[in-house]
Amino acid sequence: MSLKNMLSAAVLAAVMLSAPAARALEPAAMVQLLSTIDDRQRNGGDYKALVYLEQKEKDKTDNVREAFVYRRDADDKLMILFSKPKTEAGKGYLRLDKNLWSYDPNVGKWERRTERERIAGTDSRRADFDESRLAEEFDPTYEGEAKLGKYTAYKLVLKVKPNVDVAYPVVKLWVDKDSTNILKREDYALSGRLMRTALYPRWKKVFSESKKADVWIPEEIRFYDEVEKANSTIVLIKSVDLRPLEANLFTKAWLESKSR
Amino acid sequence: MFQLFLIAFRNLGTHRRRTLLLGGAIAGVTALLVILMGLSSGMKETMLRSATTLATGHVNVAGFYKVTAGQAAPVVTGYPKIIEQIRRDVPELDYVVQRGRGWAKLVSDTGSMQVGVGGIDVQDETAFRRVVQVKEGSLDALSQPGTLLVFEKQAKKLDVKVGDTVTIVAPTMRGTNNTVDVRVGAIATDVGMMSDFNVFVPSATLRSLYQLRDDTTGAILVYLKDLKQVPHVQARLRQKLAEAGHVLMDNDPRAFWFKFEVVNREGWTGQKLDITNWEDEISFLSWTLTALNGLTGVLIFVLLVIIGVGIMNTLWIAIRERTREIGTLRAIGMQRTRVLVMFLFEAMTLGVLGTLTGAVLGLAVCLGVNAAQVTVPEVVAVFIMSDKLNLAVHAGSVIGAMVFITGCTTLISLIPSFLAARMKPVTAMHHIG
Repeated sequence: MSLKNMLSAAVLAAVMLSAPAARALEPAAMVQLLSTIDDRQRNGGDYKALVYLEQKEKDKTDNVREAFVYRRDADDKLMILFSKPKTEAGKGYLRLDKNLWSYDPNVGKWERRTERERIAGTDSRRADFDESRLAEEFDPTYEGEAKLGKYTAYKLVLKVKPNVDVAYPVVKLWVDKDSTNILKREDYALSGRLMRTALYPRWKKVFSESKKADVWIPEEIRFYDEVEKANSTIVLIKSVDLRPLEANLFTKAWLESKSR
Repeated sequence: MFQLFLIAFRNLGTHRRRTLLLGGAIAGVTALLVILMGLSSGMKETMLRSATTLATGHVNVAGFYKVTAGQAAPVVTGYPKIIEQIRRDVPELDYVVQRGRGWAKLVSDTGSMQVGVGGIDVQDETAFRRVVQVKEGSLDALSQPGTLLVFEKQAKKLDVKVGDTVTIVAPTMRGTNNTVDVRVGAIATDVGMMSDFNVFVPSATLRSLYQLRDDTTGAILVYLKDLKQVPHVQARLRQKLAEAGHVLMDNDPRAFWFKFEVVNREGWTGQKLDITNWEDEISFLSWTLTALNGLTGVLIFVLLVIIGVGIMNTLWIAIRERTREIGTLRAIGMQRTRVLVMFLFEAMTLGVLGTLTGAVLGLAVCLGVNAAQVTVPEVVAVFIMSDKLNLAVHAGSVIGAMVFITGCTTLISLIPSFLAARMKPVTAMHHIG
């Protein structure tokens, strides 16, 4: 564990232990909690994972896609390259600076997409595969403690900070009191309409050489579309590799070359 | 002459039943004419007000920019300088605004639709605020970038509320598809056909969608104090802008989106300005006004024929009833012309009283309808650009209708009056009837 993470955890622990369980978290403690969630998932170096997206849609047959997710968190770069099924192979997303680009080899064109883009038409969004930036993007308010099965969780309401672009401006978050892992997330529109619910049933830790500490990764995320109620997506994150990636990986040319 | 008028007036009073029947019919036709004229001019006014606020100025300085010969975009570059020149060269100016123009796909979580996207600076749009009735949210929300104004029907189709986010997708001038996320800031009441395919976003948002510079817009909408000045201002702007070094397109009196095909066929690249007026931009709607005016004309003509035949017939009967009376008047020395004038006066007085009553009745109905805010069926709302019925009654047109119908009744009564005047006193006095 890095010095910064150790300090964060120590501050958080001190704040939590000094307050009775039922008492509201102070704003500083809530921000600290979000920072801890972010830090626990942050690698600092590069990241590669094999991802499966199982999509269920009303009146349609279930669909499974395989993709590779590449990240370079130091430069805020992200790439998703689909490898299966054949019809999807070569399609991909590339995040450069604040722009998310989508590439379809069938038409050979790049299109600029927004944060609301459904990744490959599923219920997942770019941020679900990217580095966690909750403390940077949201202002939290404390809603008390809640029971989720056998877990006791802090319930936080996050509102997007001004001039920050996110898929959903209001998020309700259930954070496991013991592990500080996210257990459940509800995404809302500004109108107050519930748009999507996400469940995080499994987390695993991987040791990162660049961070010199463990990185926590959700092994499975279940997304439920709350607008089209019958639609849902399960994202399985496998084979996480935190070793450095090729230097020229995050380019349009590299992604295009994969479909030639 | 006054004596004759008095006799005619008393005659009307004596035959009260007949007068009431005939006067009532004239009043009915007048009221109908006033209402129909109110409907026609109300629809016309609503259409013009909505169209000239939502889609066009009185005079527009728009144009196309072509990166390559075959790819035109409805863009005016360097618009602040053009606005400056318009302010200088158009003393008849009321106000001027700039509007971005786009055609994009609006995608919500449940649906999508193709729409024309207007980029506005809402704080400058005074008339826009008068025409667009916000049902939910606020027009001021559009002063923030990344917001959207949709109309009721669109909101229903997309299943969105104020605060929901939708994505706008459109190809940029270089052919790359771009998207922006916008939050629904206001939902406005439908304004007919215009609200079926138009949404509005802040200018900056539209520019970021099309990746345009800050000094570009879609069109400069020029509003004048007096609509009659439109041809002069249009001609002057053509001359002055050409003198200032701008390249102008040939005059083509059609809405801008009809011109893409022609412009894309032409070989030039760069910027060309196109100066149009409000009639050009809504020429695709003018048939509805022509049809409405035609329908009103036909209806009035049929009603007038019916009422004319009725008046003539009734006067005919009256003259037959009063043949002995005419004979007596002639026998005591009344001239034929005076008998004719007496009957004409009678018809005219009946006409004046009938039309006056009808006009008051029609006016009351129009005011009542306006006050009741009557909602029209959707199919009508599409054409009149308003979901509420607006009957516009003008004093001039009401007086015109009264004069016209009184004139018609007086003219129609000429034939029976002439027949009455032609009678010989002896024949008339011996008449049994």
